Amino acid sequence: MLRSITGKHIWCRLLALVAVLSHSIARAELEGLTESEMSEVDGAGIGLVLENFKFSHGTDQPDINGQQARIFRISGIKSTDGRDVDITVNHLYIAGANSNYGETLTPVNLGRLLNPWRIDVVDGNTIGIDDKAVLEFAAPAMMSAAEGYDCMGGSATAGSGTCSSRPATSSYIGERADIGMQMNVAVGADRSANINIHAKSAVVDGSYLRLWGDDGRRQMVGQFKLNFFSPELSINACSQDGSACGSRIVMSDFALQLAIGNELQPVFLDVDGTGNFVVDVAAIPKPAPGSIGGDGLRGSSDSETWDFYEAYYTNPEYRSNLSIGNFSVGNRDFGSARVQGMLIQHLNITTKDLAP
Amino acid sequence: MKMLPKILFLVVVSSLAGGGRSAIAELSLLPDERLSEVSGQGGIYLSGDISINEMGGPVENSYFGRCSDAGKKCGARFAYRLKETGGWMVLDEIRGNFAFEGLTLRVRNIDSGFGGDGELFNRDVLELGLPNTVRFNDVRFKIASSSTARPTDPGFQQTDIFSVEMRGEVIMEGNLLVFPTGNP
Repeated sequence: MLRSITGKHIWCRLLALVAVLSHSIARAELEGLTESEMSEVDGAGIGLVLENFKFSHGTDQPDINGQQARIFRISGIKSTDGRDVDITVNHLYIAGANSNYGETLTPVNLGRLLNPWRIDVVDGNTIGIDDKAVLEFAAPAMMSAAEGYDCMGGSATAGSGTCSSRPATSSYIGERADIGMQMNVAVGADRSANINIHAKSAVVDGSYLRLWGDDGRRQMVGQFKLNFFSPELSINACSQDGSACGSRIVMSDFALQLAIGNELQPVFLDVDGTGNFVVDVAAIPKPAPGSIGGDGLRGSSDSETWDFYEAYYTNPEYRSNLSIGNFSVGNRDFGSARVQGMLIQHLNITTKDLAP
Repeated sequence: MKMLPKILFLVVVSSLAGGGRSAIAELSLLPDERLSEVSGQGGIYLSGDISINEMGGPVENSYFGRCSDAGKKCGARFAYRLKETGGWMVLDEIRGNFAFEGLTLRVRNIDSGFGGDGELFNRDVLELGLPNTVRFNDVRFKIASSSTARPTDPGFQQTDIFSVEMRGEVIMEGNLLVFPTGNP
């Protein structure tokens, strides 16, 4: 009995000590963080991988009673003459490679365990956005040429390119999806032919959307990068009943690297007073008069200003590229096309309501 | 003190004496080290049927009402602002019903597969098993931008950008794997 009483005493003392300690710890924890301390917060992000994924939806033909089992429709858009525009999606799919334009849907993995899709709060200082915490939604990151894979799917061996997602092989379903859509557009009572868009073995590695707040404009700002690679992107049109199809427009080795907004010129998103959506990329500020010399060389200019503009104009990350390996219509080849180094210097898009 | 487990055991056995020999065999004591090896079949299996404003929402005023009233809007409305004094992005007239069967949730250890990635990864993930098909019953929503948060506010102006309507069975197969990433 004596032992158990002393034991209880020790227990009580321990409890009291823990209470005191936890009190002082709690007080220490509640100190305010400064803005710069806050901006260094960089938590572990969430990684997402879709395993054996398959998505398919569409619109069925009406049965004898005029009922449709499946409907997928986008509407609410008006033509300039006030008629309703209706986009009926006959089929939208995301599936494994070799789907034969959506005919045979098999599963696919999206994202890699070692390089997944990510939702993360990133320290802005590490990505050139000073003293901000940045919310980032990102596709699998690009890899070094020594360990990545060919983005066009020509080879499934490491070291053949910079993409992280791997093409399908005989033993593995891969991480590149076949994506496609068949739709038709009706303006009033006029319904168009079915338009088919298919991308084979598509990769979006290196794409991201970053969002943060701008103190000066008190507004949400962002930065958007879209990489899209596909060994074959094709478009064709078929009659409503699918009996006859036009020539297929095929863009082989299609690569799009689109950059909208950057650290120096983020995209501002807003809705104006009349209820219209506004997307705005502000122009880069002009140099102060006299800070750039008459001959434009560094020697005659303020070196810091000159370096700033030199970095802005030469940074390949700020530029958009589009390249098509071969463009063909039916059996006619038009060769390759390439648009490189597009820099968005100023962009302002405002939606307009056409309804009377 | 040492007698207590034995007494308890006896009570249990006697109460189950009529229940047959197998019940007695099941109730033998597990030593601590055996108990520590017990791992339950963790996981959740969910079936759901979710309706949003199928007949109309709870608000009834000059703008919102029952779906049977043609002059009123009956869907839910979700508005968010991108700028301190700016207008509102709106997800409007959200309504419909969707049902699924067999959404699963469990913790899974991955140490193989994934084209060789699994072996290197060798960690636990949260696995959300998608329900193969999700049945949509007249699910609609509209994306719009608006000058005020509520349609009943003064000076309300709205531009509808587009609306989406879905019905029928949507095929959604696979597993969504969620896990922490990056270096905190």
